[in-house]
Amino acid sequence: MNEPVRPEDFDAVIHERVRLSIVSALAVSAQLSFNELKTMLELTDGNLSAHSRTLEEAGYIVIEKSFRGRRPYTCMTLTAKGRKAFERYLNTLRQIVDRGKRKMDDTS
Amino acid sequence: MDADEAQTRIREIQRIMERATLFTLLPGTPAVIGGLMVLAGCAVSFAMIRSLDFAGILHLPVNSQIAFCVMWFAIGMIGILLEVILTTRAAAKQQLVPVDRPMRVAAFSLTPSVIVAMVLTLKFLLPVDARVWDMLWTLDFNVPLEPKAEEIQYIVPIWMMLYGTDVYTAGLFSVRAPRALGMTFIGLGIIALLCFPQYGVVAAALSFGLLHIVFGLYIIHKQRQTVV
Repeated sequence: MNEPVRPEDFDAVIHERVRLSIVSALAVSAQLSFNELKTMLELTDGNLSAHSRTLEEAGYIVIEKSFRGRRPYTCMTLTAKGRKAFERYLNTLRQIVDRGKRKMDDTS
Repeated sequence: MDADEAQTRIREIQRIMERATLFTLLPGTPAVIGGLMVLAGCAVSFAMIRSLDFAGILHLPVNSQIAFCVMWFAIGMIGILLEVILTTRAAAKQQLVPVDRPMRVAAFSLTPSVIVAMVLTLKFLLPVDARVWDMLWTLDFNVPLEPKAEEIQYIVPIWMMLYGTDVYTAGLFSVRAPRALGMTFIGLGIIALLCFPQYGVVAAALSFGLLHIVFGLYIIHKQRQTVV
């Protein structure tokens, strides 16, 4: 706990801003469709597509593709592995904030 | 990464989670039930005043006027209660991370306009003016406070526009659907105010009734598509 946080402590997959946004949104939703995520996070098709693929390859999300009538329908769900990684990442951030506060208290 | 940057990231994560929570908890069922209650309220109002103009209340005996106002107040209260209860239940059912701020944001964005609408409604129904101070000063309560038909006609459009403003503001923290609903309410309110103030019962039935039902069904349909 008292050891300094090193760059390698950050999960590179989640640390990227767009991927972190995707995981954060999925953490409080059972499932979100591609279009909903795109609207919610104000992303382009290409951007969301590329980052969600990276998350899927890491095993953090599951992407399900199907059809609604004739239209393709894609939805995403956070996996248990993804949720753990997200919680770990949040804990690391909290550690940094706590350490910063303690430093401020020590100096004042 | 320093503490400030980490704090900024945590705030970003919270903001996204709040947005997603509001999206998932958009109140579909309460909107449909509320809309049905408003339609029923409009039907009862029409039966009571025999007119599509809410100013028809002026021709009712005092007891019926009070019953009329109590009925609409009850519809409003039941609607709010339903929304709170069903939204909380939906959150528990989906085992969402407890993020209470979005709920507070939505509630706080609704409060000021509702207060303004209530004050204006009371002012139009009980046209309180400077004479009230004379009445209190002289203890002579025989001075009649006469509501004006044209002021009562403003009540429904004002509620439509202010409610639309509320929903639009609350929608700024969520997705497009509530913002569209808010803008539609504002648009219909403007039309009702400028063109058809004498058809308040129809305006209320179309907006608070029918529009709510359509919105609620749309949200339910969307949520069935996305939430397991």
